[in-house]
Amino acid sequence: MRGWLFSCLMIGLAGQVVAADGVEYQRDIKPLFAEKCGVCHGALNQEAGLRLDAGVLIRKGSTDGPVIVPGKAAESLLITRVTAKDIDERMPPDGDGAALNAKEVALLSAWIDSGAVVPADEVIPADPRQHWAYQRPQRPPVPAVEDSNWSHPIDAFISREHRRLGLTPVETADRHALLRRVYFDLIGLPPTRKQLQAYLQDESPAAWQNVVDSLLDSPQYGERWGRHWMDVWRYSDWNGFKQQLRGSQRHIWHWRDWIVQSLNDDKGYDRMIVEMLAADEETPNDTSALPATGFLARNYHKSNRNIWLDATVEHTAKAFLGMTLNCARCHDHKFDPIAQTTYYQFRAIFEPHNVRTDRVPGQPNVMKDGLPRAYDADLTAKTFLYLQGDDKRPDKDHPMTPAVPAVLGGKFDVQPIALTIETYYPALAASVEKRQVAAARRQLTAAQKALAAAIKQSDGKPDSSGANPTAIQTLELKRTVAELRLKSLVARFAADRRKFTGGETADDVKQRNQLAQAASAAERQLKLRQAELVLSQKQAAVKAAASSSEKDKKKKQTAMAAARKELATAQKALKTAQAASKKSGSNYTPVGKQYPRTSSGRRLALARWIANDKNPLTARVAVNHIWLRHFGEPLVDNVFDFGLRSAKPRHVELLDWLAVELMKHEWSMKHIHRLIVMSRTWQLASSTGRIANPSAEKDRDNHYLWRMNVRRLDAEIIRDNVLAVSGQLDKTLGGADINYLEGETTRRRSIYLRHAYEKQMTMLVLFDAPSPNDCYRRSESIVPQQALALTNSSLALGQSRLLARQLWQEASADKSPQPRFVRAAFLQILSRPPADEELAACQQFLTTQAATFFDTSKLTTFVGGAAPVVKPATDPQQRSRENLIQVLMNHNDFVTVR
Amino acid sequence: MDNQQDNVTNRRSFLSNLSTSFGGLALGSLLARDGLSADPAAASPQFAPRAKNVIWLFMVGGTSHVESFDPKPALNKYAGKSIGDTPYKDVLTSPFLKNERDFFDNLERKKRTIIFPMQVGFRKRGESGLDVSDWWRHVGDCADDLSVVRSVWTEDIDHGAQLQFHTGRHRNDGFFPTIGSWVSYGLGTLNGNLPEFIVLGKPPADCCGGQEAHRANYLGPQYDGIPLNVDPRNATPYIAPEQGVFVEEQQGQLDLLQQLNGMTSARYPDDSAIRARIRAYELAFKMQMAVPEVVDLASETQQIQELYGINRPTTKPYARQLLTARRLVERGVRFVQVYHGSNGGAGGWDSHGKLKVNHTRMCQQVDQPIGALLKDLKQRGLLDETLVVWATEFGRTPGSQNGDGRDHHPFGFSVWMAGGGIKGGVAHGATDELGFHAVEHRHYVTDIHATVLKQLGLDPRQLAVPGRKRLERDFGNPIQQIIA
Repeated sequence: MRGWLFSCLMIGLAGQVVAADGVEYQRDIKPLFAEKCGVCHGALNQEAGLRLDAGVLIRKGSTDGPVIVPGKAAESLLITRVTAKDIDERMPPDGDGAALNAKEVALLSAWIDSGAVVPADEVIPADPRQHWAYQRPQRPPVPAVEDSNWSHPIDAFISREHRRLGLTPVETADRHALLRRVYFDLIGLPPTRKQLQAYLQDESPAAWQNVVDSLLDSPQYGERWGRHWMDVWRYSDWNGFKQQLRGSQRHIWHWRDWIVQSLNDDKGYDRMIVEMLAADEETPNDTSALPATGFLARNYHKSNRNIWLDATVEHTAKAFLGMTLNCARCHDHKFDPIAQTTYYQFRAIFEPHNVRTDRVPGQPNVMKDGLPRAYDADLTAKTFLYLQGDDKRPDKDHPMTPAVPAVLGGKFDVQPIALTIETYYPALAASVEKRQVAAARRQLTAAQKALAAAIKQSDGKPDSSGANPTAIQTLELKRTVAELRLKSLVARFAADRRKFTGGETADDVKQRNQLAQAASAAERQLKLRQAELVLSQKQAAVKAAASSSEKDKKKKQTAMAAARKELATAQKALKTAQAASKKSGSNYTPVGKQYPRTSSGRRLALARWIANDKNPLTARVAVNHIWLRHFGEPLVDNVFDFGLRSAKPRHVELLDWLAVELMKHEWSMKHIHRLIVMSRTWQLASSTGRIANPSAEKDRDNHYLWRMNVRRLDAEIIRDNVLAVSGQLDKTLGGADINYLEGETTRRRSIYLRHAYEKQMTMLVLFDAPSPNDCYRRSESIVPQQALALTNSSLALGQSRLLARQLWQEASADKSPQPRFVRAAFLQILSRPPADEELAACQQFLTTQAATFFDTSKLTTFVGGAAPVVKPATDPQQRSRENLIQVLMNHNDFVTVR
Repeated sequence: MDNQQDNVTNRRSFLSNLSTSFGGLALGSLLARDGLSADPAAASPQFAPRAKNVIWLFMVGGTSHVESFDPKPALNKYAGKSIGDTPYKDVLTSPFLKNERDFFDNLERKKRTIIFPMQVGFRKRGESGLDVSDWWRHVGDCADDLSVVRSVWTEDIDHGAQLQFHTGRHRNDGFFPTIGSWVSYGLGTLNGNLPEFIVLGKPPADCCGGQEAHRANYLGPQYDGIPLNVDPRNATPYIAPEQGVFVEEQQGQLDLLQQLNGMTSARYPDDSAIRARIRAYELAFKMQMAVPEVVDLASETQQIQELYGINRPTTKPYARQLLTARRLVERGVRFVQVYHGSNGGAGGWDSHGKLKVNHTRMCQQVDQPIGALLKDLKQRGLLDETLVVWATEFGRTPGSQNGDGRDHHPFGFSVWMAGGGIKGGVAHGATDELGFHAVEHRHYVTDIHATVLKQLGLDPRQLAVPGRKRLERDFGNPIQQIIA
């Protein structure tokens, strides 16, 4: 089809003239070569030894000789080839891009005719494989520093830049600001007044270290950083329409809890990667590691397997490698040395995998709870390259073998993994049989008890009700069914177990057949009795319908007809069951679902290749994410693209030093956090204050960190902060997701609110909560809807009223209660005391605001609004205090980390 | 007017005070659209605008073009025949079919080849004699104000086309800024009391783009369309506090808050976010008054309410939305997007069967309100500066489905515009004799976008964000022939 298109375009080429005047190499020719020829004739690939990415190389030509004759376009091979009618001759070749159009050919000809002039100073592009991020990070020496205040390794790197550029860093932040900063950075909650006081009074040199250690040890650390990594790893609760699952998985919160727990345990980042990509292959029976594969299960997409696997490829590469592999889905990557085939080879790693939900102990119903996890379902699944990314055009002649991008080096060693029976046939795990048999026993006991009770009640007298069968006969039948159910269950387990674990000797085979026959017979007996039971119930139903007190004749007749119809069905079913019971055979219902006995090992190979000291990207990408969330700005701007579009970053040595540090310390993230928050750089003030700092002129954007960046709190942390300052926060860890509509009433942390497409708490969305689809870096908007949320929500109003009560109770005994109240409020809400002018303004407010309420009949109420959850105080003074508290919850600095 | 000028000036001096340290891109674009930035990518009107505001009416589900604004007598002539047996059989092999991305998957389902006659009559309306079907009588009253573009095409044969009509991109490509957000991004507000891009009506269902049909995506959430309900009691999230809060109480709180934030701002003169937040709180407080006022229609005369059809249950919901839309543009809101027909699925206009019954019912809900909107804007002199766009995601097949319906049809369908410097009484472009393919002056959906932007004084090519590549086709080309 494309061939057809090209030949159409070629018609009418001759005779068209584009003015040769003013054709310019840099503007007109170089971009044309880059677009049309770059992939095969550039720094990375040099087909026929020809490069067309620099003037001197174009003039040099291919291994077969020159391709242009300056001054003579008509005699230039290049022009001949790009205008060739023969599709096999033409450049770019069929399938590698559209032919040059008339205008482009004219430009090229004009340039050659005018002498093929190229600038003398043109730089020959380097081999993309030499890109900085593709080289393994080496630990650079820490620069020597004279000022001992700057001797921390991070500071030494930063300070060197300050000296080089003549920047004067600001002082460190005051202790109030610092403590608030470290609390929000590490646990996402503010310090209590008590914690603040303790720190301010601690004059020991270890005071800071102690705070940092205790925060990193706190379980809230895992929640705070869990949410960060959930952004990067695209956490999403299940989404769908009504009860239909369309994306992610039910109970995916097990993965969230695994993230939080792993961070709290300071599990190495390399371990975390291996578990997320391949726990089912590496430790298939470790139910504490399997939830990690939620990373894969999350990509489930009901309607389209291609969308599902595309997302898996794209985000595995972006999250762990900072690679935009997705750009190579339809064509070779435009910038990075990634061929289109690389994309599909990477996809082949995931091709066999699928998602299933395993039962969790104590909950047989997987709709209620279960463990969503990845596993290899189809080891024969083939991956085809889609021509131009079009899934309607798979290249079936060349199935892809799994591979990783070669440019990163390393070993990708795929070894198939034999699974044990509890993995490929989870129903045969010992605990499952025990639980199911116990449940069947309980049912039998209950049936026996019901029968005994009825017999006792009848006291041996015959049934005079005329019922046929009698009540006791029915109960007997029920007991029999329960007995047979137990028997059949045990027999099916025995048969299945032998089927999957027995040997292959003649005896084994014989025994296996016997067990299968026994299971089959037991099941048929059970079905027979069940059919009898159903029949007797339907008979009773027919009688009941006939003798019912329904007055409406028509209705009664309809009911009777329906009952008779069901009876007929039951009679038919019984006949079938009777016939079956007389036959012999060895078919029975297996006790569970069987999965493949081996896993391809592809994902484990991938995980080990990524989570590896030799991978140049993994550690760099990780420390960059961590740095971003401590400083508000990353070291490498585009956190998911470390490819050629990411030039060597300003602080590349610092980045590499941190990356090596991460790897050398068992990939401990807590180690990196500790390093960062112990540094002077991180502790700098965020403002020059009223005195202008000349550094502000030299480095307006603070690229060199001569001060700290001011940051706005994340959406979840703003909500948590409201509950934390009011003292109402429920710190329970983990568990199922909470309906997002309960966000204003539940007191749990925001990380536990449902987070899925179209299922996000409005308040969080207004504060730039991450899109569940992807969010490698959050935005920080300032819009009026945020103001409305903190002004008008039940949450903000209710919590400020509760806090006002609590603080006034404390302050009222004081001899000057009002200033004490204001001070306590500032400390509680903003972690700092009020300045004199602020104190004065607040006291003034308390007086005038209280006066507002003396005659509320003169006041205007708002239209609409829900009934209050926590009622406002009736006392005007107290109400003004409530108002003050809410003002402070709306203060700029409530949502800001200075 | 003076007052407005003041607002603009204040806003500008306010913005220029903000240093670059805050929120890089978002603030950069704020500055850019106010012409305060030296950034060459910054948007600023390239030419005199012909319109100030846009009301964008979108019919969810796919309105039949051959039963609204593009009559096809051949359908009646060949009714019941297979397309292959008519002189027009070439439509089935046209290369245009390839524009539809999933067409080959759905070949059998989609090629509805048994011709279905028009289910409604047409008549020539107005002095211009524009053809309008009898289901659109009230809109037909305004024929001399309309430019019908009969040659629009799109790529998606399914309802993802709803999203595509707003972003210019196929559903499978993902989410992109929508036309309303570009306008908001490019122009800013005329009224400090209200958001500049407002959405009325129920958005498309998730299947078809959902809220993304009015979002700003990478432009940032400040350019998202803000959904308002026409219910004065609940117009937007958190618009009203819990019961029992007084306006004076909040005014007192706001005064203290601004005072305290002002003190903090003075302490940290290099922190620009505080000033942005001070402004946000001002707008928020004003919105609480302005939003319920604008959605409260009680102050509209009986005559106006009846003109729109508020007094009749069939027309009432849409009438309320359109009257609110007029009130919004009157107050300076730049872009009002009104959805009609969304039903949690494909959309109410989707008429695979019983097209006559369905379209009769749907038209009864919207025809009178839309006609009233045009008449009302005109009598107030607002139609000159307000561009009204009527659109739907695709048309419907010339062939029948289920004997009495029509299937989805992206290959050629109609959209119309009125006011805002658009010619009246014009039918531009054409589909073939069966209404199958757009054949004359073909326009992809972004041409509609480009026309809207041009009338507002914006060059779509100037609307860009560094690092976000827009494809050539994303820009579209203004439809010069319908511009007065």
